[in-house]
Amino acid sequence: MGVLAQAFALVFDPYVLWVILASAAFGLFVGAVPGLTATMATALLVPVTFFMPPVPAIASIVTATAMAIFAGDIPSCLLRMPGTPASAAYTDEAYALTKKGEGELALGAGLVFSVIGGLFGTAVLIAAAPALAEVALKFSSFEYFWLVVLGLFSAVFLAHANPLKGIVSLLFGLLVSAIGLDNPAGFPRFTFGNAELAGGFTLIPIMIGMFAVSEIIRNIGSIDEPWEMAQTKIGNVFRGMWTLTKRYPMQALRGSVLGTAIGALPGAGADIAAWMSYAMSKRFSKEPEKFGTGHIEGIIEAGASNNSALAGAWIPALVFGIPGDSITAIVIGVLYIKGLNPGPTIFMNNAASIYAIFLVFILANLLMLPLGIAAIKCAKQMLRAPREVLMPVILLFCVVGSFAINNSIFGVVLMLAFGLVAYVMEENGFPVAPAILGMVLGAMLEENFISSMIKADGRIFAFFERPIAGSLGILALAVVSVPLLRRLYRAAR
Amino acid sequence: MRKLLLAALLFAASSALAQYPQRPIQLIVPWGAGGGTDATARIIGSLLEKELKQPVNVVNRTGGSGVVGHQAIASSAPDGYTLGLITVEITMMHHVGLTQLRHTDYTPIGLVNADPAGVNVRADSPYKSMKDLLQAIKSNPGKMKASGTGQGGIWHLAIAGLLKDQGIDPNALPWVPSNGAAPGLQDMVAGGVDVVPCSLPEARSMIDAGKVRALAIMDGSPPALYPNLPTLKQELGTNWQIAAWRVIAAPKGIPADAQRTLVTALKKVYDSKEYKDFMASRGFGVVWADPRETAKFMAASDANLGAALKAVGLAK
Amino acid sequence: MPGQKFGPAWFPGLIAIGLAICGALLVRAGLRERAPLFAMPQWMQRQRPRRAVAMVLAGLVAYILLADALGFHITGVLILAVWMRALGASWRVTALVAVVATVVIHFAFYRVLRVPLPWGVLERWAF
Repeated sequence: MGVLAQAFALVFDPYVLWVILASAAFGLFVGAVPGLTATMATALLVPVTFFMPPVPAIASIVTATAMAIFAGDIPSCLLRMPGTPASAAYTDEAYALTKKGEGELALGAGLVFSVIGGLFGTAVLIAAAPALAEVALKFSSFEYFWLVVLGLFSAVFLAHANPLKGIVSLLFGLLVSAIGLDNPAGFPRFTFGNAELAGGFTLIPIMIGMFAVSEIIRNIGSIDEPWEMAQTKIGNVFRGMWTLTKRYPMQALRGSVLGTAIGALPGAGADIAAWMSYAMSKRFSKEPEKFGTGHIEGIIEAGASNNSALAGAWIPALVFGIPGDSITAIVIGVLYIKGLNPGPTIFMNNAASIYAIFLVFILANLLMLPLGIAAIKCAKQMLRAPREVLMPVILLFCVVGSFAINNSIFGVVLMLAFGLVAYVMEENGFPVAPAILGMVLGAMLEENFISSMIKADGRIFAFFERPIAGSLGILALAVVSVPLLRRLYRAAR
Repeated sequence: MRKLLLAALLFAASSALAQYPQRPIQLIVPWGAGGGTDATARIIGSLLEKELKQPVNVVNRTGGSGVVGHQAIASSAPDGYTLGLITVEITMMHHVGLTQLRHTDYTPIGLVNADPAGVNVRADSPYKSMKDLLQAIKSNPGKMKASGTGQGGIWHLAIAGLLKDQGIDPNALPWVPSNGAAPGLQDMVAGGVDVVPCSLPEARSMIDAGKVRALAIMDGSPPALYPNLPTLKQELGTNWQIAAWRVIAAPKGIPADAQRTLVTALKKVYDSKEYKDFMASRGFGVVWADPRETAKFMAASDANLGAALKAVGLAK
Repeated sequence: MPGQKFGPAWFPGLIAIGLAICGALLVRAGLRERAPLFAMPQWMQRQRPRRAVAMVLAGLVAYILLADALGFHITGVLILAVWMRALGASWRVTALVAVVATVVIHFAFYRVLRVPLPWGVLERWAF
């Protein structure tokens, strides 16, 4: 019997299929609740997998995480609350669409292009894992530094109205990320001797506060006016998807490619992939002025990107046992327990199991279509509740979600504080998204900068000496200087 | 109504008298989901659950290089319903001035694991033995770099202490802080740093993939994972040894009967086939010590690491 | 910092410089447009929204202060009730939803996801 036939037999077993379905439902739930992440879903699955054979054990994680990353789009679209950090990049865009009465389109695009991105990432994982993993291993702190710098420039594209205010928001985010002990020097910064502050500010409660709580305050502030959300109709989410695919094939492809590549890099995962893809989409769009007003293009690209990153992260994990993101960090442990030791030999020694895992990837992504629709339908029912019931219940969910990430009441404090900060920022024209980006990238930026400076004994030129680092560096400098030069040129004429 | 009240009171009284444990137990892990400490806690948690017949919930309290989680364990209610997996850092952090917490702020339940430091280089590096490596560090001070934990972390101390022990200035091998062993190893393979001292299970996949070479282990005997790997004693004749360890502990002052129950249950977990198999599959070392020995063990670790931190200039 | 040339002040220092520059530019732009120093949202002037927002914020503060002592369940029901009443729900709906939502969250988070929601005064009946 061929390896592929064995793999099919391993996957299409009633028990395995049952595990996949159950994990899918679990993943959808975790992803849709703000405060619970795909990483958390994986950690919760680990004790359960102790008692399973290898293939269902891995299948449960693959399925749950794929579903969770998509499901993060649902509350993002309906309530302006990113369910997972990977949806944060295009939360405002999706919510703007919903407000325009096109929530159906946003959710459909999120679902369909998640599936496309996921399948693309899987195809790359199957076809080119060993070769790509070799490239990913060539990234040291110099390369990462430039990558993060490129990511930060996304902030400029994220600020739709006023780039200066976008930069202030970004710097604010970076400053917040500097709080605590977890910096390269291991030195307590801005902690005032407080243990909670020493731990630093966790991203998730801040994100819930900045997006969800600020929106709830705004909503309740307009309690005397009729509620616009009530008019949002969600019928057939697939309507118009084919037109979109024909109109934006490049966007879907670019998002999938970039997502897979970023996922394959150790240390950068689905959330960073989504930010960079969204920015890239705007940079190359024919109608960049429409971004931020409820334009589908960016959602297609970033939605494909974050799901493809999920598969990309498995590339270094399977080939070298190096985690591509926090989910695969847990997966590697499970692989060892199940005797599927990662390494280049895994494709020879455990061929049937590996192909079975690949099959699960494909199956999970296909299963996302029907289950995703079911989840969207459920979420839609929720919106029918009157505002005076819905808002309090959502707020309590936010409270519990902020608590859950670190099991600390400090999370709720952060949520409230940053909810107020975000409300004031937005009322005064400062966009919130760049601040979140700053918090996502701040620690990476500092670590890689300081590490590189120590390695290079302080020589700035070392940042350009390695081939990949040099190319990325020149690209980064070009991204900043080209628009500037163009403006100067125009001014001179 | 009165009947209901009476029933509730009776229920309350009976549950107060009943035997420990009566409700779910929390097991706090000061490090993130996915790491070795988390994995160890999760297997112990799921096995303890069977022994104690109550859910044991593993809770990650991360941040501040372990300070937050260790603080959370020490300052939780000493009722036996909050436990923690404390790690070697508890005997290091207070020397560096990061916290007031010490190992004496906990009730030890048992030592469950210890992983000695290994010394790893790139597979294509010219250094084939510890002697080669130390010679190169000595003759070109400051040129080579090492990584694998944050500044002043356990693996930083492991290599700095060894250099000091060998009469080489620890600053001859500058430390590049990293977010753990995995990013450090990745950076070494990418050509960013030259040496990563870390435990063997952490380096294992890279060693097996032929990307990393282990040179020696800072332990009394060769590791089970790689029986041919020499010890420092064999290579250099030194007694320098260092290991990262993990102890199940409770806050100070838990009831004596709760401690007894927990120690018995934990010993059973430790002796179980599931635990041994799990630890062996991950390549983690297993060691057992009862509460009294664990306390002594931690005191010794505290004294040794404190002296080492001072010697290499990391402690204030 | 011993053995470390690039200390912890580098990064915040760079951010501070950036903020100072952007701040100066913004002040210049603001002065030129004669914008008001601080924009007040409209609802602040009306009583009902003002009261509702105040209740939401007060409820969150109350949760932060009381959750550990009273436990999640009691605090959850209480603040849900306060919020729903403040937004104008009827007593019947309020009572029903507050209890049901708290129970659902208990099962979803405490049971399934094993989030250690505090029991507070209900500790001895924890299950």
